[in-house]
Amino acid sequence: MAKKPIVGFYGITGCAGCLLSVIFNEDEIVDIIKAVDIVAFPFIKSDNSKGPMDICFIEGTVVSLDDEKIVKELRERSKVVVALGTCACEGNIPAIRNYTDDKKLSKWLYKKNPQNQDTRTPKPIHEIIQVEYRLPGCPPDRDEVKRFIKDLLLNKTFRNVRSAVCVECKLNKNGCLLDNNLVCLGPITSGGCNAICPTHGLKCYGCRGLADDANFDEYFELLKSKKIKPTEVRKVMDTFMARAVDEKLKGTKWEKYH
Amino acid sequence: MGKISLNHITKIEGHARLDLEVKGSKLVKCELGSIEGSRYFEPLLKGRDYRDAPEITSRICGICSSAHGVASVMAMENALGIKATPQTIILRELQTIGERIRSHATHLYFLALPDYLGYESALAMTKKYMPEIQRALRLIKIGNEMVTAVSGRVMHQISTTIGGFTHFPEQEKLDEFRKRLLAAEKDIIDTAKLISSLKVPKLSTEGEMFSLSHETEYGTSHGFIKSGDSTFEQKDYSKLLKEYHEPYSNANFVVKKGKSYYVGALARVVNNGDRLSTKTQEFIKKNKIDFSDMNPFKNNLAQAIELIHYWEYTADLLTDFKVKYESVMKPKKKSGHGIAANEAPRGTLWHEYKVSKGEITYANVVTPTAQMLRNMQDMIAVYVQQMLTKKTKKEKIVLEVEKLIRSYDPCFSCATHFLTVNWK
Repeated sequence: MAKKPIVGFYGITGCAGCLLSVIFNEDEIVDIIKAVDIVAFPFIKSDNSKGPMDICFIEGTVVSLDDEKIVKELRERSKVVVALGTCACEGNIPAIRNYTDDKKLSKWLYKKNPQNQDTRTPKPIHEIIQVEYRLPGCPPDRDEVKRFIKDLLLNKTFRNVRSAVCVECKLNKNGCLLDNNLVCLGPITSGGCNAICPTHGLKCYGCRGLADDANFDEYFELLKSKKIKPTEVRKVMDTFMARAVDEKLKGTKWEKYH
Repeated sequence: MGKISLNHITKIEGHARLDLEVKGSKLVKCELGSIEGSRYFEPLLKGRDYRDAPEITSRICGICSSAHGVASVMAMENALGIKATPQTIILRELQTIGERIRSHATHLYFLALPDYLGYESALAMTKKYMPEIQRALRLIKIGNEMVTAVSGRVMHQISTTIGGFTHFPEQEKLDEFRKRLLAAEKDIIDTAKLISSLKVPKLSTEGEMFSLSHETEYGTSHGFIKSGDSTFEQKDYSKLLKEYHEPYSNANFVVKKGKSYYVGALARVVNNGDRLSTKTQEFIKKNKIDFSDMNPFKNNLAQAIELIHYWEYTADLLTDFKVKYESVMKPKKKSGHGIAANEAPRGTLWHEYKVSKGEITYANVVTPTAQMLRNMQDMIAVYVQQMLTKKTKKEKIVLEVEKLIRSYDPCFSCATHFLTVNWK
């Protein structure tokens, strides 16, 4: 038998939900533990190796100098880095603050010691280090996490779903939430989640990041025709993927709506 | 002994640090703080649509996202004049309880138990304790199934919304689930037996026991607040509790009249003990379990006791529960001010919002970990001093301090994240 891959699971600033999405594969986690050599997992382990890793999963957004140091160090120790979840892939909710005044924010919350807070620009990890794979989603899809680990063990190349959430939503035979005048981001968001939110009656907030062929012009115009202002649409887009949207809209006529 | 710094405490949720300074055999400094990066959830809500509040705040925490999601929805309904239907109240309680079951099972087996059995992690326990690990996973699965049935997903709720639910579990699936729940009785009781067999150090908290309470029910997601011998209404929290900041922590501290208080399973069991389910009371009596010493190490046992209670309570509740379709209620007004408390697995959680013309103008979230932080710091100081007086070795002190911190089941992601000890 080939040597077991040496694996680490790390979290920087985040909610631990992605790490739990790995553990919460209740029927398979024991087999996963046997199939790979988990040398680091500070959330559930006290002894965490400082040695090299074949694969390192990282959850969380880079919001501080410490976070930045940690991801750089993990990169040096790992052959393959996997961005686990929307914080690591897109910046998630902390990245909204890139478009707000940091000092005001800090003062607002920590009234007594605003100078103590390290308020850098929150970033997804690929803006700091090279990342080989991404498993987006808030939370990541447990089946996709399993498929990734399976592909890895079989030496297959893992591929993300690149079509829009709308494709899976239509396959589920749902009615369209845009028809209810909701800012559903299904048309511009990457699928792979089986359109779980729209299927349960909630609009898509874009947690899996932009679809490859996201057509912003058509999307903004469609919402405008429903009397929903581009600034309102932009707020919804900023919820989970503010960094990517900002990058895509630079130099377009939609840039000013913020 | 000098200084002790624990710079990154493991097997807790999030990142924290502890600094201890010792002169001779006297502890002169004890500072516990969060080193989690700040995420600024509250100011980020300003200017957003009121419907975004539960979607954004459930992301504060992966372990207790339902507690946040439900608290957020309830606070927003209080602000906008919506009165939840009896079915909605039940479904939200089921979601909160499902999360409680999987959170307690995860904490007890994966974070707390290795300390007591002498392992660095549950992963290392798999050789000798595989049946226990599999039991933990079965309980986690039961909890996850419950959360998913009601809210649509394991974490970060989908169907649970302001005004009701956008999607309902199928009756057939709920009935099947109840059968699986009943079959989990042995796992629940075995867990309580295992945890009650663990020897805990002697220690007694000086803070008041603080939790939701209710005249006829075990306080979970509604009722009034009980703290020591006094009670108060949920909406009065800001008059009684004060938040403050310390330079060494990225999480705020919360005190009641300048003093620390105790939140979590132990507080709930102490405050609501006479409303625990029949089988729970029998277990307590049979095993001579006593929480009157208010020992924070017994929070683990209180969690195991809650597992029995919530298991029996849910099985009873589902016996006659027939789910029906209800449309989501619309707000009566688009401006207002609302507060709601919910018991998260690790203690009382508060959400407060002000809304003007459908837009959020103010948000405040007070997490259980922010409320327990000061009590934890106070108790670490007491416990370390006890050990120093007994001339306990430094390595043992570090281990014991970590064990104490873990028994509180803190969530430093919630309070910001958690622990690294610095011995100085």
